[in-house]
Amino acid sequence: MSDAVRPGTTRSAAFLRQPAFWVVITIVAAGAVRISQIAVLFFTAYPVATITAILLFALLAVPFWLFVSELDFLEREPPSLRVLAFAWGGLVATSVSIPGSIALDNLIAKLGSPDLAAEWGAALAGPTVEEIAKTLGVVAIVLIARAQVNSVLDGIVYGALVGLGFQIVEDVIFAIGAVQQAGEGDQVQPVITTFLVRGFLAGVWSHTLFGALAGAGIGYLVVNRHRSRGRRIAVAALALFAAWASHSLWNSPLFRESLGDGAPALLAVLVFKGLPPLLLVLYLVRRAHDREAAYYVGVLATVRDPALITEGELRVLGSGSRRGAARRHAAVHAGRKARSAVRRLQRAQAALAVALSRDPDGPAEAEATAVREHRATLAALGHPEAVEGARSWRHTASTVGTAALAIAVLWVALSALGS
Amino acid sequence: MGRVTRRQLTDLPGTLSLLIALVLASILAVLAFGLPALDRAVPAERPVAAGEPYRVAAGVTIVPPDGASLDATGTRPGAERGTALFRLGRVQYAIGVEPFKGDLTAAAVRLRQRITGTSGNQVTGTHLTVSTAGGLAGVEGGYTAGDRDGRYAVFVADGLIIEVMVSGDDADLERALPRIDASTRTLRYETEK
Repeated sequence: MSDAVRPGTTRSAAFLRQPAFWVVITIVAAGAVRISQIAVLFFTAYPVATITAILLFALLAVPFWLFVSELDFLEREPPSLRVLAFAWGGLVATSVSIPGSIALDNLIAKLGSPDLAAEWGAALAGPTVEEIAKTLGVVAIVLIARAQVNSVLDGIVYGALVGLGFQIVEDVIFAIGAVQQAGEGDQVQPVITTFLVRGFLAGVWSHTLFGALAGAGIGYLVVNRHRSRGRRIAVAALALFAAWASHSLWNSPLFRESLGDGAPALLAVLVFKGLPPLLLVLYLVRRAHDREAAYYVGVLATVRDPALITEGELRVLGSGSRRGAARRHAAVHAGRKARSAVRRLQRAQAALAVALSRDPDGPAEAEATAVREHRATLAALGHPEAVEGARSWRHTASTVGTAALAIAVLWVALSALGS
Repeated sequence: MGRVTRRQLTDLPGTLSLLIALVLASILAVLAFGLPALDRAVPAERPVAAGEPYRVAAGVTIVPPDGASLDATGTRPGAERGTALFRLGRVQYAIGVEPFKGDLTAAAVRLRQRITGTSGNQVTGTHLTVSTAGGLAGVEGGYTAGDRDGRYAVFVADGLIIEVMVSGDDADLERALPRIDASTRTLRYETEK
């Protein structure tokens, strides 16, 4: 059996019959009560700042949510489980981490020294409590829907969503803490500053990244049943340690003073502290995606029906960049409707692959019919096959321009914050 | 690619998943309640050398009151900002230092707004000017926080704000205030080389 994917079932209705589901829901409800209490306090003291913070960070969550949800194009996670993962991070992990991290920081000061806690408390206490609390969110997803965690990529997606939920709620709490610290009443300036620092500059290498790392380990633990239990547990523990170490490095005082202030120093900190875990996660995502894609493309290759998928489409479906190139080619060749139709066809083909993987002998008639319908739509638009075209100079120019703009915006933000 | 067995298609057995869910809940309980309980069980107070200046942060020092102990939970020294928390019985005596761009008036307004920003707190009376032996000029005043009374003082020095907060019940505070006032007057700022 392939290492990459462990086919599951679609039995979401069975959630309700599982005692573990109700345990998890009770925990999430308790977290919701706790965070609501904190929110009421914030609204009472600083209503404008609180609303601003919630709106800004909710907006920040949207691109992260879309990006993470799209990571697993071929076998998308059910919306209910994605929401549950996000809620665990935002309601449970935060509720647990606030008292737990403070207590651990205090213990470092008591058993070590206040100097030790001042210097290393944030690097030791926060990551220890928070990474455990977040990783348990992926474990909770496995408990109630193990059939939906059938590749390492699924673990990465759920872990990243748990981290995203945590990141957004924590950022709102930090923003209101900054308002309180500023002592200037219900002002939004500290919220904006917090948004720029924690959301814009630190957002990419924050909890979403750490959660994805730990989630990859849980995914490996669940999926690779042919490996020994000891090895799977060791890999999961290693992934959790990597998440902890990345978080600890980010919070650590290393480079804080040696590089001084200013934009170059801030950029150096981002590169030294943030880039290694980001590159590690990108590598893991790429590897997990490619392995999963190879599995599902292999499943579709057995169909041998060009009405469902052609040889060219098989080559395209396994790669995110090629899927995108096929959509762009359709847009150039047959207009925007064709672009959307290609996307729908690719989704339908992915759904067919998942259905066939779960029941290789089954007819998967509903999924096959959907593919044929989208194929007919595409053919009617004069673009019968969803394959990539030649690389256009416009796309290359657009990519280079976007990268240049992103670097310029980053530099302006670093300069503003470093001055 | 091998066959998918019925065992692989099923979720975890209900009993096992319930057991693991309860373990998961227990771990969360340890983090949320166990760690704070352990924190409360470990003593926080440490003796401080009598008559010796204590380094708060960023070159700010203070001589703690006679008989005071240092509370490790509220003390975080630092190069640019930091806090120190002393205890005299049930009276808390906290000093905070951090970068600040405004003048003394702005500093006083900021501290009073932070005090009143906490539900139940009220500033009482008017503020008075105060100075330290080290030449720092500041203002001080009083506030109430529910059943506790408090005093505050604030100083500005070379881009730093130094905030002093004292709180305790009326009788304890009355006994401790002379020693705390004497301690506050030892606040000193020296540029760290």
